Amino acid sequence: MTVFTRRTVLRGAAATTAVSAVVSVNATLPAEAADAATSMKLFVGLSSALTGIGEKKLAPDRDPLNVKQAYYDQARTYPEFDRLLRIYADNQSNPNKDEIAKIILDQSDIRYLARSVILAWYLGAWYEPSVLKNPPPPPISFKVISSTAYTQGWIWRVAQAHPMGYSEWAFGYWQDDPASLDTFIQ
Amino acid sequence: MCADKCSSFDAVIVGSGVAGALIAKTIGLAGKSVLILEAGPEIPPDVNGYMQRFFLAAAKVPESPYPPELFTDPGKVNAGRATSVMLGPKSWKDPAQSYLIQTGPLPFGSTYERIGGGTSLHWLGTSLRFLPSDFKMQTLYKRFVDWPISYEDLDKDLDNSWYGKAEDEIGVSADAGEQQYLGIKFPKDYSYPMPKIPLSKVDKTISSKIAGLAIDGIPLNVRSTPAARNSRPFRQRRTCAGNTNCIPICPIQAKYDPTVTVNEALRTGNVKIMYRTVASEVTVGENGRISQINYLQYAEERGPETGRGCVTAKVFIIAANGIETPRLLLMSKNGGRTPNGVANRSQMVGRNLMDHPYLVTWGLMPDQESDRVFPYRGPLSTAGIEDLRDGKFRTERGAYRIEIGNEGWNFVVGGVGSGDDPGVTTVDFVNGLNISGLNNGGPNGGREALFGSSLVKRLNNRISRQFRLGFLIEQSPDNTNRVTLSDRHRDGLGLPRPQIAYNLSDYTKRGLAAAKQASDAIFRRLNAQSFTVTPSSSDPSSFEWTVDGKKTRLNFLGAGHIVGTYRMGTSNSNSVVNREQRSWDHPNLFLVGSGVFPTVATANPTLTIAALSLWAADTILKTDLK
Repeated sequence: MTVFTRRTVLRGAAATTAVSAVVSVNATLPAEAADAATSMKLFVGLSSALTGIGEKKLAPDRDPLNVKQAYYDQARTYPEFDRLLRIYADNQSNPNKDEIAKIILDQSDIRYLARSVILAWYLGAWYEPSVLKNPPPPPISFKVISSTAYTQGWIWRVAQAHPMGYSEWAFGYWQDDPASLDTFIQ
Repeated sequence: MCADKCSSFDAVIVGSGVAGALIAKTIGLAGKSVLILEAGPEIPPDVNGYMQRFFLAAAKVPESPYPPELFTDPGKVNAGRATSVMLGPKSWKDPAQSYLIQTGPLPFGSTYERIGGGTSLHWLGTSLRFLPSDFKMQTLYKRFVDWPISYEDLDKDLDNSWYGKAEDEIGVSADAGEQQYLGIKFPKDYSYPMPKIPLSKVDKTISSKIAGLAIDGIPLNVRSTPAARNSRPFRQRRTCAGNTNCIPICPIQAKYDPTVTVNEALRTGNVKIMYRTVASEVTVGENGRISQINYLQYAEERGPETGRGCVTAKVFIIAANGIETPRLLLMSKNGGRTPNGVANRSQMVGRNLMDHPYLVTWGLMPDQESDRVFPYRGPLSTAGIEDLRDGKFRTERGAYRIEIGNEGWNFVVGGVGSGDDPGVTTVDFVNGLNISGLNNGGPNGGREALFGSSLVKRLNNRISRQFRLGFLIEQSPDNTNRVTLSDRHRDGLGLPRPQIAYNLSDYTKRGLAAAKQASDAIFRRLNAQSFTVTPSSSDPSSFEWTVDGKKTRLNFLGAGHIVGTYRMGTSNSNSVVNREQRSWDHPNLFLVGSGVFPTVATANPTLTIAALSLWAADTILKTDLK
């Protein structure tokens, strides 16, 4: 499996403008680190478009839990990952993130890996793309990626709630309406 | 093994669950020596290890944080237990998958733990008192038997209230004024140790919408449920933070669990505990008194036996739950001197196994902003409808209580291996499936696969409207519902595994059908859309019944309440223990826990187990160890 690098991104002519901006951010990093940072930034952008969750929520500037790395490392083990990331790179300048996601999910060869990535962010669990492509009758198998991944699952925030077993609030909060959805996800 | 080679104590207790722990602490505080034999592993120094197991479990069932491993051959495990994953259509009768050897015709759906602290590590915390009428089913309704004790025996006055002492010990949050219904009374000036837990959005929405609704002529009210969860700091434990995870584990121990009491007992300096030590025989001396208990030990959950031993005491207390207690008694043949087991002259040990067959219904609140209930917030359940726990209908059918859930559809969709909600609903909308029943909004009712902002919007809309109700049905005591010993299947230590015969009587089924009718009425009043799945005929926990003139298939789950298998009564011909919970046959043997309940009524049993255990400890100190 090839690592998705700055160079492979640059091979996509249509991505030139967008990637230039990324490269400029990492201009002072050694080439290899810049490659990794570029790939991760693309992965976070891709993930944001697919999940509907803000990039800064998925990967805040200060990110001690860093679940993105586990999801990235998991996703890149699949041969179609390069193409998935490249199509995002090719389209990332589109301000309508949902349109980017639609372009990706319309491609049958990368659709199921993209869905695996969505589910990883939402549930902290890995669903094999091949299982999603040909789902058996229930149960649908999956593996919890890590305890941190479980507690960082975005479905809980989309529900304006908290992971079961991982409340970040104080006694009695359940009497009242939660904060707005946007405060959870954007 | 000769008694003179055994270690000796004032009291030996089998089991470190809520009953055993409270008795050990009480006796230990009085300066008497106590040994607890615990079949399972030790209480860990903190809950982090258990939490890790929970977080990583694909099937987050009540047993998921705790050893032994969930998916393993129960014939190789030294201290096995019943688990939820053993209850599938293909597993419940398969001895290679199910620890219990279930002969049916229906599955017994309740499970338990064998670890330091026992099953109440995974309890919900509900701490309801029984109703006065619950003790008098024969007198009031010509059904079953009366208990040999009354409500007043458990709550005489402010200084003599076993219920009150139990509420103090485990730390119950409730409002005494709100709990005075259907004959429940409190001594003047009584207050629970902590204020009640506030209602959730789910509770408040249901409460306002069902105002004025009556079932069987009885108006319904939503009440805060008394719970052993801290509504403020209590005995060095923190205030509940609403982790929505009471079952299987509270991450901050704001919910009482018996490890609290075991540790308090050990701190008396008079109590010892031996872990991974399985009581294997209760020995009867020549004078009919219990002379010793023999045990087997192991080091690894599937490893070899590592030792054997025995203990003697002045008094013996078996507190090993409604299945393992009769199992131990029945295993104790004393070289053929007690061929029917110990404490079993009545031949009633193991009989009258009961539960609260548990009907769950679920749905969505109407699609408008004011009806969003925002589940997955707060303790798992903060309120219930208790008004239907008693009534004249008990001459004909079981009563029930209604528990309101705060965890959406968490455990009602999916099934073992598919995860649970909100995961199931998420996978449905991401991958175009419809296991939840929610994904049929596409063209021609088709499924949709969503992403980005539309995925967020749809999941938020659906999940914020999810709710579920649980109905705990009063089960009749039937002496053919029975725990015996398997003559073929053994555990890792070579001990016979429990065999269970279980069914629901027509009395119980009528109660369940009435609960279904009540659920339908409540859903209509809520204007809620039901997504409750009608069980298929392949569901082993289902049966056909006529409801509103139509043949309907109903199903039930276990409530985790294992009751009735060594009942208390008025004579050695109708019961296993007397009103003191002392064996009729062996005067220095006490059997405690919900196995002593002659009838199950509708309240979750733990508070009454605790009250009766404190009473038994008091009796032991005043008579056997004075």
